[in-house]
Amino acid sequence: MSYLDKSIEEISNALKNGDITTDELVKESFDRAHKCQDMFNSFVTITEENAKNQLDNLNGIKNNPLKGIPYAIKDNFSTKGILSTASSNILKDYVPFFNATTVNKLYKNGAIMIGKTVLDELAMGGTGTTGHTGAVKNPWDKNRLIGGSSAGSASAVASGIVPFSIGSDTGDSIRKPAAYGGVVGFKPTYGLISRYGLFAFASSMDHVGCFTRYVKDVAYVIDAIKGQDEKDMTSLPDDNIKYSEHIDGNVSGKKLFYIEEIVDKNNYEDTMDNELEQILDNFNNIIKNCENLGMKVEKISINKDLLKAIFPTYITISCAEATSNNSNLTGIIFGSRQKGASVDEVMFNTRTKGFSELIKRRFVLGSYILQKENQERLFLNAGRVRRLIVDKMTELFSKYDGMILPATGSIAPKFMEEVIDKLSDRYLLLENHMAIANFGGFPSITIPCGFVDNMPIGLNITSGIKKDLELLNIAYAIENTMNYKGQIAGGNDHE
Amino acid sequence: MVTKEKLKEYANKLMFDMKDCEYDTLLKEFDIIEKQMELVANMDGISNVKPLTFPYEMNSVLRDDEEIRTIDYMDALSNAKDIKGREIKVPKVVE
Amino acid sequence: MNDKYEVTIGLEVHCEVKTKTKMFSSSPNNYNETPNENISEVDMGFPGILPIANKEAINKAIMMALALNCKLPKYMYFDRKNYYYPDLPKGYQITQNTEPVGIDGYIDTYVGDEVKRIYIHDIHLEEDTASLDHYDTYSLIDYNRCSVPLLETVTEPCIHSADEALAFLDSLRRIFLYTGISEARTDRGQMRCDVNISLAPKASKKMGTKVEMKNINSFSNVKDAIIYEIKRQSEILEQGGVISMETRRYDDTTGKTYKMREKVEGVDYKYYVEPNIPPFKITNELVDTINKKIPLLQFDRIQKYMKEYSLSLYNATVLTKNLDTALYFEEVISKNIDPNTAANWINTRILGYVNKEEISINECTFKTGDLVELINYINKGTISTKQAKDIFYKCIEEGKNPKTIIKENNMEQITDTNEILNIIKEVINENMELALDYDPNRGRTVDYFVGQVMKKTRGKANPKIAMDLIKEELLKLKK
Repeated sequence: MSYLDKSIEEISNALKNGDITTDELVKESFDRAHKCQDMFNSFVTITEENAKNQLDNLNGIKNNPLKGIPYAIKDNFSTKGILSTASSNILKDYVPFFNATTVNKLYKNGAIMIGKTVLDELAMGGTGTTGHTGAVKNPWDKNRLIGGSSAGSASAVASGIVPFSIGSDTGDSIRKPAAYGGVVGFKPTYGLISRYGLFAFASSMDHVGCFTRYVKDVAYVIDAIKGQDEKDMTSLPDDNIKYSEHIDGNVSGKKLFYIEEIVDKNNYEDTMDNELEQILDNFNNIIKNCENLGMKVEKISINKDLLKAIFPTYITISCAEATSNNSNLTGIIFGSRQKGASVDEVMFNTRTKGFSELIKRRFVLGSYILQKENQERLFLNAGRVRRLIVDKMTELFSKYDGMILPATGSIAPKFMEEVIDKLSDRYLLLENHMAIANFGGFPSITIPCGFVDNMPIGLNITSGIKKDLELLNIAYAIENTMNYKGQIAGGNDHE
Repeated sequence: MVTKEKLKEYANKLMFDMKDCEYDTLLKEFDIIEKQMELVANMDGISNVKPLTFPYEMNSVLRDDEEIRTIDYMDALSNAKDIKGREIKVPKVVE
Repeated sequence: MNDKYEVTIGLEVHCEVKTKTKMFSSSPNNYNETPNENISEVDMGFPGILPIANKEAINKAIMMALALNCKLPKYMYFDRKNYYYPDLPKGYQITQNTEPVGIDGYIDTYVGDEVKRIYIHDIHLEEDTASLDHYDTYSLIDYNRCSVPLLETVTEPCIHSADEALAFLDSLRRIFLYTGISEARTDRGQMRCDVNISLAPKASKKMGTKVEMKNINSFSNVKDAIIYEIKRQSEILEQGGVISMETRRYDDTTGKTYKMREKVEGVDYKYYVEPNIPPFKITNELVDTINKKIPLLQFDRIQKYMKEYSLSLYNATVLTKNLDTALYFEEVISKNIDPNTAANWINTRILGYVNKEEISINECTFKTGDLVELINYINKGTISTKQAKDIFYKCIEEGKNPKTIIKENNMEQITDTNEILNIIKEVINENMELALDYDPNRGRTVDYFVGQVMKKTRGKANPKIAMDLIKEELLKLKK
């Protein structure tokens, strides 16, 4: 088993003890990246030249768990001198001159960037199929998608190219592909990690987060990239805790809850199938594991209408914010400018040619939602539901340490598989509840918890704001009751 | 009532056009979201709720008007397709 | 024509706030001829940037809202105004729509010698746009001005003449200068004005059609533009025509306004709360500290000067145009100098000089102490008012104080009666005949003797004392 397949902790020790050199480790990572690229299409850019400079500068960097560790990062993060496309044609040749805060922090810690990963165009989408360089495939089954929008970051970790990767999460863009890809996906409390340099999708719900194969590795990554940033007014004051030093798996006495309306089989009679049956059974077994760990798990009930409103609320707010956030993409200062007789024509042609039709539809919807005559009915009502949901959750988190639910109600779909009815309970409840964590900025993690039809499924755990450490500790404890820790698609063997 | 023509007008206001068939897809999507938001509009007491804009209560830390930071104009223009001297060039803007 | 039509004017005044850095970025906020010298990725809306609100700009916005007697919100919010234009890199402008920093305010101002109250609809803080330089076939974009903090003051449509509009603009500018919120330099476009104007027959209840004139960059142009529009619109109405709702541009070379475009009613800017700037609480403590920093403003000073120092409106107005002049004046009268004497000296001599040299009164070498000294010499009769003027200019030329100048040119008058009397006796003896014909009903004799005394003293004898003594002496001779 290669060192590259081990946990960050193990790799870091191996590097310190000289069992392997950074150059060897990074070379292997690049080799895998190239080898997998044709199969899974994880990367927009594999950043070898850049890595050379980083390796040269390593000596100057103090020892820390991420020093010399290869990683991948979603292509909607601003990387100085490195193509940053957000997987959109309109930015297909955009090379920023400044780094996202997260990129700077990883650089200072000596983590080595292996590549910029494919996403759904402008991070708007959940399939990983809409990037301008093509769809990302699921390393567990090439005929299936891995989900998005952080598709490439998920597949890069799932296929063992890197021990961790950086993604962004606005609805469930890290936690859903993590579930489909059988890896750990975490988004922290809103504001724990600076958003500076992350291309904005829906600013009030955008989060920077990460993928790993071990829960404890999340702590190492977050320790390196969290902290207040003078360039982000919504970033939280430093908590000055090293999460990685406080994860002991001692969770006895903790209290968890799950929402009955979401996991009750009787809700899905009409759409019930073997797949969902197994997912819900798996979930019930996990509840037992939790109780064996000394945690109390309680069933609570939430107004079903409120839960059904999560998806439309998410779409309404995210499309509205996205329309505005992407108004800077006109081709005048940057991006692939098209010709035109007037400035308006230049902008018009650039945007018409630069965006996929799906994105345009989202933008039209978003601007419709913001129009004076619709704001009250659509945008503001969505904001009201958002508050109702967040208030309800905040109240629950004052009594409980966390909420556990199945991450999704299905395994990774096949390409071109027609999507289930967007008005069905199964879709509205099971496929969209993770957006709750984006509404309230709650820390939320998905960990692999089993297989259905040989495809991985995930468990989602969410806690109250600023309870990131407690959440990671609970996830760590639950992870240890199962055998999916560190799993890599196709086995731990790239030969 | 939203029509294809209206949607085209909205799209053009956003500085782009779409394939004709896309407007039909869009009409369906509008129908779905409107249906779902209807459900929201009918929740009792919804109108007395204050819309939530920020995930949780945050207080602004304002920037002291002290430290000055600039970028080199060469960096600023490095991605521009058409420049003249130190500035970005566009077809004449008629006011 | 104006007595036939009611003119209604509303003003929207943009004024750049004086800060070191920009509204939402750390790039410098100062006027720069070199294009794209004062810029940052935030100003230019590159992907991934976030706005960081400038504390100084927000404090100054609060100060202006207080100076305009506005109601302040509990929390400071910003909103996005969404529209596409080449001078707007982000595709939206961060401004204030739902919770402006000030609403429902007013200021009082003198229009001629009448006090007029101008009502403020709202004042809000926003970021300026880039500037476009137009050439024959293309335009160039300079981002130096992008995200410079701007305060937009919007009046109610309560102004009814060009003079009122001008009076308001001048008062507003004085407030910006008094408080140091802005340098308000129209020559650098730091203060720009949109004018909304409509005419309606005096009798009619409802307002006429609104015509908008954008971005007028000097006060005199505002005046001329308004006068021209009143003429243009009333002529149309006279001929039974209709005014069309449109946006017009004033051309100061021709002195005319020209149609730019039909005013599209209700452009939908899709305002919504800027999600990257959490609300900022405006505490009472903050309001108090800022309030303390606001000096007594021009209008209140004028009132005070007229009431407490019984100055004329004219003198009070001239003295209060600049805070420095007002403080100079107040310093002088604090040394028991008669306010009117001080006012006359400052408004004629000192400001005359200061304005000619285009310097501030603080740069003038003739300090308050010098003026006090000079006026005291006059009051004591040591020097005549005429002499005082010469001394003043000598002081400035030679950079010396009055005392020195008087000494050096031994200009003190002879006020010692005995000394003067001796000289008078000499003169009388030399002109005994004339003295004996003295007839109190004919003053010419006395004048002659005064002249002689002055001659002997080379003009230094105090004329008044001399004349009284001469009369006495001549009368003595009669007996």
